[in-house]
Amino acid sequence: MAYKPQYYPGTTSVGKNRRKHMSGDLEKLRDISDADVVTIMGHRAPGADYPSTHPPLAEMGEPDCPIRQIVTPTPGAAAGDRIRYSQFADSMYNAPAIPYFRSYWAAINCRGSDPGTLSGRQIVEARERDIEQYTKIMMDTEMCDPALATMRGCTVHGHSLRLDEDGMMFDMLARTELGSDGNVYYVKDQVGIPLDRKVNAGKPMSEAEAKKRTTIFRCDNVSFGGPCTADKRTLDEGLVTLHHMWERRSKWGFRPE
Amino acid sequence: MGKIHTKKLFVKALNKKFGKDFDLSGTKTVYERLGPEQNARKREFMEASKKLEGKRGISMYNPYLHAGGVPLGQRQLVPYKLSTTEYIVEGDDLHFVNNPAMQQMWDDIRRTIVVGLDMAHEVLEKRLGKEVTPETINNYLEILNHAMPGAAVVQEHMVETHPALVDDCNVRMFTGDDDLADEIDDQYLIDINKLFPAEQAEEIKAAMGKTSWQAIHIPTIVSRTCDGGTTSRWSAMQLSMTFIDAYNMCAGEAAVADLAFAAKHAAVIQMADMLPARRARGPNEPGGLSFGFLADMVQTSRVKAFDPPQVSLNVVAAGAMLYDQIWLGSYMSGGVGFTQYATAAYTNDVLDDFSYYACDYGVDKFGDWGKAPATLETSKDIATETTLYAMEQYESFPTLLEDHFGGSQRSAVMAAASAIGSACLTGNSQSGLAAWYLSHLIHKDGWGRMGFFGYDLQDQCGPTNVFSYQGDEGSPLELRGANYPNYAMNVGHQGEYAGISSAAHAGRFDAYACNPLIKVCFANPALIFTWDDIRKGYGMGGAREFRAAGERSLVMPAV
Repeated sequence: MAYKPQYYPGTTSVGKNRRKHMSGDLEKLRDISDADVVTIMGHRAPGADYPSTHPPLAEMGEPDCPIRQIVTPTPGAAAGDRIRYSQFADSMYNAPAIPYFRSYWAAINCRGSDPGTLSGRQIVEARERDIEQYTKIMMDTEMCDPALATMRGCTVHGHSLRLDEDGMMFDMLARTELGSDGNVYYVKDQVGIPLDRKVNAGKPMSEAEAKKRTTIFRCDNVSFGGPCTADKRTLDEGLVTLHHMWERRSKWGFRPE
Repeated sequence: MGKIHTKKLFVKALNKKFGKDFDLSGTKTVYERLGPEQNARKREFMEASKKLEGKRGISMYNPYLHAGGVPLGQRQLVPYKLSTTEYIVEGDDLHFVNNPAMQQMWDDIRRTIVVGLDMAHEVLEKRLGKEVTPETINNYLEILNHAMPGAAVVQEHMVETHPALVDDCNVRMFTGDDDLADEIDDQYLIDINKLFPAEQAEEIKAAMGKTSWQAIHIPTIVSRTCDGGTTSRWSAMQLSMTFIDAYNMCAGEAAVADLAFAAKHAAVIQMADMLPARRARGPNEPGGLSFGFLADMVQTSRVKAFDPPQVSLNVVAAGAMLYDQIWLGSYMSGGVGFTQYATAAYTNDVLDDFSYYACDYGVDKFGDWGKAPATLETSKDIATETTLYAMEQYESFPTLLEDHFGGSQRSAVMAAASAIGSACLTGNSQSGLAAWYLSHLIHKDGWGRMGFFGYDLQDQCGPTNVFSYQGDEGSPLELRGANYPNYAMNVGHQGEYAGISSAAHAGRFDAYACNPLIKVCFANPALIFTWDDIRKGYGMGGAREFRAAGERSLVMPAV
């Protein structure tokens, strides 16, 4: 029988959403054009050639190496692209994605990527044409609510701050704004450089939709520890599993036998 | 049976910070984006810089350069309340450069050395046939308190230090021998019986036996000019010269070498160990300071012995400032970000609230302090409930989450509370450490975020080093320090580890955590920093009420 990854335990919406993120089985909610994604990323102008750091692999005369024979290079690696990044900040007020699960998504689903996880932001690095493709997935699918998850290369604070009065996550550099048509627009690229034109990132989710699609446990939505009093706890299956892992790591960390 | 704590101690601080009319539970706000001008301290900085630029002939502080020209502080710049105190200061006031009390806390450690008297007395009595009596010891201490600040004995026509520049220097002795203590002039004695609660005094004296020790604090200005490695050398020279004077010795006789060797090596307790070459610091520098020693330096255990969380919280505050802000934040790295991490552990009564919750939950469940079994089950129970409680507070009070806007701050605070609870209830620091590691994992899994790359690493692999005492696998937490493998790189950990070390012993109402000599040495009432109330000291420093030692203004033209 073929191995079927289980990814994450639990029957709650959060558990299910986490499984969807890790598996890459994501619902597409909008279609941001390739050019718009590239514009927000800010690494190259849409339509410009990809800068390269080495010639295409096919022209390089690679050594006789069994690993190279097994692993097909990604398009970006084959072309010799430089390594670039996209980094997202996700609000703790029910943004769909959360840093560790962005990293799990990338590590499992994005070949040749290097995810990095912090509390207020999460970065994925890859060859340029590859990261553009991965970024489009992050922006188009249920991993993103443009009001609660924005691309921020620097000055990222916002994930833990109260939302602005229009429901947008606070951004010191004001890279996005809520348009009068109800869409969220990027007016600056991910490092805060003003854009020549606004880029439409789509409509924000309703609060109910965000609660349904989020992967964060919160006591005002899906609680990790059940009712918020010490005498009525019912631990989520994810937490019970975590206890199991912690206990074994404590007991046998230095006893590999 | 304890009553589970529900005071939400941080609410008062939040009201002070954000104004009493704000909505405690509101998840939305109007960001006024007022820039740096909104804050008195930033205005002061800008004005000072403007004046100095003329003198300097080169540009200086300009917060409008922040983030490529976007004004700093577009959100509200809020002040900080030092936990359990009424001191409210600006964040800038908690950078150690701006806070003389913080500097003095570290200065007090770096300039301190404990040196035994018994070995020297044996040399005098057995090798030289001299008589050592309480009278000769008092005479010796009088000469020593002349010499140690930098004055001459034995030799004539020597240059000396100005007493007003070195008046913080002093040497007192302490002993487990009550009969001897009775004979020592009060001004030269750290009186264990008077300074410690009776049970603690007995415990300390039993551990010390009838040995005698000197608590030596060389001038702050000396250790600031040189380094921690100077302290034993400076003190040893003055000790040797004083013995020569007090006991009418020949300045060149071979027995002096025995006294010098005792003063520099054989009878010396450094505050911190020397570090390996790649970190290259001498003894008495913060990277070599063990968590147990720091726990013993803090004196809250002496004055609030029956409040174990308060004891632990003050040790956390000491360590967060010393290890995070000074050691990692400046010795090992640079810049200003470390202060922001560290302050979360000692401001706004957040860690206090979480820790009292953890302890009350534990006392309610297990009966009393130090009575819970030191098992993984206990750690799991207390860490799980405490972390869930803490996460729920952040979720229920959005400005609390905003106050601890970085995951490392939250992770450190939640884990420290879990660990303090577990250590206080079991009386075992390894149980506290196990709770610490579990709390981080619960935080990470519940919110899908924790600290930053490196921060997370040591906590995710950390459970492997609990309840293991082999040198490369564990070690008692009290004996670990800032240079312990994996602990050597990340802010938001080391102060908390010191707090956990302290909590285990506070929960048992022990007189000390690791070394009774360190505990007594820092009970010296003549120390400059407020060792019995760390947060109060920081508040005084931030409020510009604290006068530090080591100043040079006496011998410089007025500004």
